[in-house]
Amino acid sequence: MSMVVAEHLHKSFGRFIAVRDASFSINKGEIVGFLGPNGAGKTTTMKMLTGYLPPTAGTARIAGHDIIRNSLEARRHLGYMPENVPLYEDLRVFEYLQYRAKLKGICGKSVRAQIGRAMERCGLTERYRNLISTLSKGYRQRVGLADALLGEPDLLILDEPTNGLDPNQIRQIRELIRSLATEHTVILSTHILSEVEMICNKVIIIDQGDIKAADTPAKLTHDLRAAGRVSIEYKGELEPVVRELEAFEPVKKVLVEGPLPDGWQRVIVRAEPGTDTREKAAAIISAHGYPLRHIYRHIPTLEDVFVEMTRRD
Amino acid sequence: MSDPTPGIQRTRSWLVTLHTIFAKELRSFLCTPFGWVLLACTMALQGFWLQAAIQTMSKATGEGVMYYLLNNIHFWFYFIFIFPLITMRSMAEEERLGTLEGLLTAPVTTTQIVLGKYLAALLFYITLWLPLLLYPWMSDIGNWYTQLRYGIAPEGRIIYHPADWYGPISILTLCGSFFIALGIFCSSLTRSQIIAAIICTCLMIMYYFTGRVTELWGEFPAAPLFHYLSCTEQISAFSRGLVDTRPLVLYLSLAIFTLALTVRVVDYRRWHR
Repeated sequence: MSMVVAEHLHKSFGRFIAVRDASFSINKGEIVGFLGPNGAGKTTTMKMLTGYLPPTAGTARIAGHDIIRNSLEARRHLGYMPENVPLYEDLRVFEYLQYRAKLKGICGKSVRAQIGRAMERCGLTERYRNLISTLSKGYRQRVGLADALLGEPDLLILDEPTNGLDPNQIRQIRELIRSLATEHTVILSTHILSEVEMICNKVIIIDQGDIKAADTPAKLTHDLRAAGRVSIEYKGELEPVVRELEAFEPVKKVLVEGPLPDGWQRVIVRAEPGTDTREKAAAIISAHGYPLRHIYRHIPTLEDVFVEMTRRD
Repeated sequence: MSDPTPGIQRTRSWLVTLHTIFAKELRSFLCTPFGWVLLACTMALQGFWLQAAIQTMSKATGEGVMYYLLNNIHFWFYFIFIFPLITMRSMAEEERLGTLEGLLTAPVTTTQIVLGKYLAALLFYITLWLPLLLYPWMSDIGNWYTQLRYGIAPEGRIIYHPADWYGPISILTLCGSFFIALGIFCSSLTRSQIIAAIICTCLMIMYYFTGRVTELWGEFPAAPLFHYLSCTEQISAFSRGLVDTRPLVLYLSLAIFTLALTVRVVDYRRWHR
């Protein structure tokens, strides 16, 4: 079942096109990472999904409710944590959460129960009486997250949830997000690629307003040009080895990086994605009787995918 | 209409959400120094001009103390500034902090936000005038003291009629209901409180002088319109006890129009960014 369906979302600010014809769908229970360089349109897309920024064209549905025609109903299904977490400075943590819970239509005994649960999950229980103006960045971030969790919304939209946190806090938030995925669908945006690799089961890469890719991290890295690359260092003649390597079927190109200062040769073998040429390469070099000291198959990361998709050359 | 998550008590009532916003706004007036400073300053100025009003009253006769208190230029000196002070924060602060985003991504309509803020500001404005109701009580104490000190001396008694208070309080509430709406409208135009306050003060002064046009130009064909809009004339009439329903229609319709415009502006600023 699709939790979010975006259909040709388009947003322009005057002449500047922030998001161009974005269509994607997100299934229930998925953790989706929005990736992209600064100003790529991540935040704009998220703000459109929340109904805060109206799209110039196109629409989206959240849990089956149109974000424009049936905005209030769609908003009842989502919890949103904006970038930089705007909060009322003059309220205490529990007062703020109480206000937010009531705004979300929670009433009666559930208010207290929901606040308690959200504070517990975000590690705020000891700070519930603190004034928000006295909280550190990390705690403000948690208050924002607790706010998004109030009312157990089906969909959580988190704009850079780990921005400005220290490594320990990042780990806690990451664990929290992963634990949320059992009951919620999560959309998050971040710059930290390793984070996405660790917790997301779907990645949407946006650059200059265009959706470049939307798939699982494994699939994205699998199809990458860098995927079949092997680097080799050996000592001996260059020419026969390169010739024999190039004759080998999946190899597309052999790049010679030249003799290293210590006299060893380094070559890079580019092959079809998903192939492993290490065994053959080692066999060729040892057939010549040359010593081999390094043979490494490059494991593509999301960073490679990101760089390849958003590179401006 | 699917319920987002079962097991949680929820309400869909429009009024409950309105009340939540109203209560939060009222709280921000009464639980911060802001409201109390404003209240203290207004009371101090009222007391200051009360002295002047009693001076005038001792020379002229016929009207109650409220008439002399509200019908002089001193009153307008602080009356005009009350509105920008009360309302300049309401929408501008929300936008500057970015909390408007949080509000509008919750299941809350713009109308609820504007109306909640308006009602809270209006209630706070009315509380600013409540100290006026202490004057009869203070007169009683004065009379009691005079009797105790000098024996019964009818000419030394302060004479007042509780009815003197009905007119002034109702006209202050009425024109306040429009001026507060005007202030919230100004606040929605910008993210800077200062700019909101400047625009509001400017509009207030313009409105004040609209009411005095006939004093400068004399009577001319369009003069009845300016008489109709004149806040000073209405206050004068009401504080003499001449309660009229025309200002009721004028101010309530102006307030509703301004609030509707505010809702449009808030949405417009979000849609055209």
